[in-house]
Amino acid sequence: MIELKDIERYYSNKGVKSYVLRHVTTTIGQGEFVSVMGPSGAGKSTLLNILGMLEEPTYGKYHFMGEDITTLNERRRIELYRSHIGFVFQAYHLIDEMTVAENIEAPLLYQKIGGAERKSRVADMLDRFNMVAKKDLFPNQLSGGQQQLVGIARALVARPSLILADEPTGNLQSVQALQIMELFKKLNQDEGITIIQVTHSEANAQFGNRILHLVDGVIKDDDILSK
Amino acid sequence: MYKLNFKIALRSIWKHKSASLINMLGLAIGLAACILLMLYVGHELSFDRRGHNAGQVYQVMTNFEDEKGKIGSTSELTSNMAAPTIRQEIPEVIASSRIGYGGLGLVSAGREGFRREVKFAEPDIVRMYPYHFLEGDSATALSSPQSVILTRSTASLLFGRGPWIGKTLRYQDESDLQVSGVVEDLPLNSSNRFDVLIPWSFYESKFEWVKVPEWGNYNWQTLVLLDKKADVVAINKKLHGLIKRHQKGSNTEMFLYPLSEKHLHGSFLNGKSVGGEISSVYLFTALAIGILLIACINFMNLATAKSEKRAREVGIKKTLGAQRSTLISQFFMESTVLTVISAAISIVLVEVSLPAFNHMLHMELHIDYRNPVYWLGMLACILVTGLISGSYPALYLSSFDPVRIFRKRTPRSGMFNVSFRQVLVVLQFTFTIVLIISTAMIYRQVGYIRDRPVGYDIDQLVEIPQEGTLTGKFALYREALLRSGAVTNLCQSSGSISRDGSSFWYFEWPGMDEADKMVVFNQIVTTYDYAATNGLKMLAGRDFSREFASDTAGVLLSSKAVKVMKLKDPVGTRVKYHGEERTVVGVFQDFIWGSPFYSEKPMVIAFNPGWSSQITLRLNPANSLSSNIETITRITKEINPAYPPDLKFVSSLYAEKLQKERILGILANLFGGLAIFVSCLGLFALAAYSAEQRTKEFGVRKVLGASVSSIMGLLSVSFMKTIFIAVLAGVPLAGILISRWLNGFDYQVSLSWWVITLSVGFTLMVAFLTVSMQAYKAARTNPVDALKYE
Repeated sequence: MIELKDIERYYSNKGVKSYVLRHVTTTIGQGEFVSVMGPSGAGKSTLLNILGMLEEPTYGKYHFMGEDITTLNERRRIELYRSHIGFVFQAYHLIDEMTVAENIEAPLLYQKIGGAERKSRVADMLDRFNMVAKKDLFPNQLSGGQQQLVGIARALVARPSLILADEPTGNLQSVQALQIMELFKKLNQDEGITIIQVTHSEANAQFGNRILHLVDGVIKDDDILSK
Repeated sequence: MYKLNFKIALRSIWKHKSASLINMLGLAIGLAACILLMLYVGHELSFDRRGHNAGQVYQVMTNFEDEKGKIGSTSELTSNMAAPTIRQEIPEVIASSRIGYGGLGLVSAGREGFRREVKFAEPDIVRMYPYHFLEGDSATALSSPQSVILTRSTASLLFGRGPWIGKTLRYQDESDLQVSGVVEDLPLNSSNRFDVLIPWSFYESKFEWVKVPEWGNYNWQTLVLLDKKADVVAINKKLHGLIKRHQKGSNTEMFLYPLSEKHLHGSFLNGKSVGGEISSVYLFTALAIGILLIACINFMNLATAKSEKRAREVGIKKTLGAQRSTLISQFFMESTVLTVISAAISIVLVEVSLPAFNHMLHMELHIDYRNPVYWLGMLACILVTGLISGSYPALYLSSFDPVRIFRKRTPRSGMFNVSFRQVLVVLQFTFTIVLIISTAMIYRQVGYIRDRPVGYDIDQLVEIPQEGTLTGKFALYREALLRSGAVTNLCQSSGSISRDGSSFWYFEWPGMDEADKMVVFNQIVTTYDYAATNGLKMLAGRDFSREFASDTAGVLLSSKAVKVMKLKDPVGTRVKYHGEERTVVGVFQDFIWGSPFYSEKPMVIAFNPGWSSQITLRLNPANSLSSNIETITRITKEINPAYPPDLKFVSSLYAEKLQKERILGILANLFGGLAIFVSCLGLFALAAYSAEQRTKEFGVRKVLGASVSSIMGLLSVSFMKTIFIAVLAGVPLAGILISRWLNGFDYQVSLSWWVITLSVGFTLMVAFLTVSMQAYKAARTNPVDALKYE
């Protein structure tokens, strides 16, 4: 599904290149649950952003579902990730002015999906996450864990094949964190959704089946976890 | 999606109540000012343009030339021969009418008489103005000399409810006229307005001098209606020399000028149009655009003030798959929703302030809600405002890169953005400073002119038209008034002392040369006691006196006249006034007869009992004002029962001369005040934005031991720099504009530095207070709060 070849990312400042990622080469297959780990500044988020096509590598090749991303124009790229990728953020990043239902509906709007279809999919999600009663509340009326559930529901509503999560439990208490990770695991196993998460927590990483250790922009270890 | 965007826009307005309020207030004020000014501009632009054939109506204008053929002045008045001759010689002219001004004439039906504005015209006039006939037939309404057309309000005043046609009214207490037509009241933006329109044939039957064909007496307007295909340039060529062919030795030429252009472009210099009311249209349009732009700039600044938060939203939406165009349309939606709400508020503001505005400008502006043009204009206004004010936030905010936002770094607004915002603020404050300095200078100029010595004793001076039996019984009237003790003196004159009305040339005196023939003199014709009643200061000789029989052939000269005529010893000089031998009996000090902004022409006061139309009364200061007025009214009624006494104070008539400039001052003050208010609203928001951006910096500085005042200084100084640039741009601009305005007057104040210093100081102070309010808030925040987000 994902093929990275010699990905480099650096910033030039007065002629001095400071590298964030170096020679990152890896392949991630359909249905994997990968955790990216490493110390602060190792380039985890940058890697995730490149995977999510929010950022372009300075050098290297990125094939997503057989397409060479680096040569695509912006419109095509947005279309691609719009229909295949869902994002989950540490700070949830819900839109404050929208209700729970509207937040979940938003990606469908941007995909220009018809009204009836939108309604049924949103209702589905609300049902699945037990949030029917909360659908007309605004994000600031929810707890952190509930907000992250909405965030995940929003990521899932467009039926992505890949979920990119940047420290999804970073702002949560341990009980809620556990709940979220269980959910990820279930999505991965039952629905076959590929998940790539950035995390600091060894425990969270254990929910997945592969860990990429990133140190100073270089992949140091690539562990496959045995079940 | 639009529905959701619309909903979100409303929610976000509700959520940020105070910011939205500032925003809407600014926009509403801007829009209201804009609507008010555009109503005025629309009124001016539609002057004489409402008829379906308005473009074919032309006014015959007259150029007066000197002996070298140079055009000295251009007038809208013609002789009574212009219309018939043009009609005869120019086949393209399909209708024509002479128009005579009847002043405020007395009309009555039954006992009570009313003064109404009277015009005389020929039957063709109904083809040139789009009169709306409520009763009567427009084609025949003016055909009989005894007929009369009334406006609706005059008809109901005289006769009550309609139908009015066929009823009889009495004109000037001597002639009976039959109502042959009633028209809707004429709009204010129509030339030749009247309450009572009387046929020209009646006018001719009453006055021999109107009837006798005469090329040399320029007293009437002439309007012509041209054929659709007529070429006015060719007609004007044909008109050239026409008067000279008919009257040997004449130095005048006629030409046609579109009636619809006359109001806006009716000032002529050397026979060419050099403007007119169009200058105030330009001024008001500029003001309207300026104020609206200030409000739009505010909106932009306020929108970017929230950019920190908006940036996150943009980022999220982009990762959810929103394209930039979607986001741009969302921001435009928000600005348009806000503009629509502001527009609704502004309409309320306009409706509330219109009566005062109309009262001030002597206008009848109103929003005609049934007229689709207003709605279209309003819609266009909203769209343009929404587009302008939404453009910067839409383009700027939608460009945010999601990655940067999620890195939790403040979106670094690059050099361009910062300077663009500053440019906007500079623009706002430049405009504001120009307005403030202009206001101050206009007030100073008006004050200076108001305080100019008038040259006569203007207080306790009252005038009354000499009409009806007052003309014949003046001696009796004078006797009765003096005996009553209400007045100490009174005199007759050909016109009011408060308004210039008559001038002449070909005055002859010993020692003059050929060119002096063309010197124009003002003239007032009086009988006895003119100088004494008005309090003129005699510099030599004396006023006309009953004790000298020869004074009936005398003249008085103004000091300026003596100077122009270069007379060493004026009293006793023999002069020729309108061809008559006269003797100078006195010299009086110049007084302000025309506009106090301009220097006076030399003036001649001549004795002639036949020309009187005004009586001026000097009230007795020993009695109370009300008892004086009461006595005068009673005596006037006794002697002249047909006419309602119409007493006017000369001082209030004089004050009207400053009206135009006074209005300009009020408008400049009003809109200048709005401009600075709205600008400061924007500055306030911008300071908030800046404070928000620099929260961390301030936090660090405080941790390092910076004082509140030093942090306040930090924020304030950066803003004051921007305002200072606006001052540097605004002061010279204001200087240029105001000098140009002042140069239009003969009497002008000089552009004083202290006014500029004070205006600049005021602006800087208001701006500083605005910014420092935010700066104080920023400086007082606990550094821990500022830093813990990092």
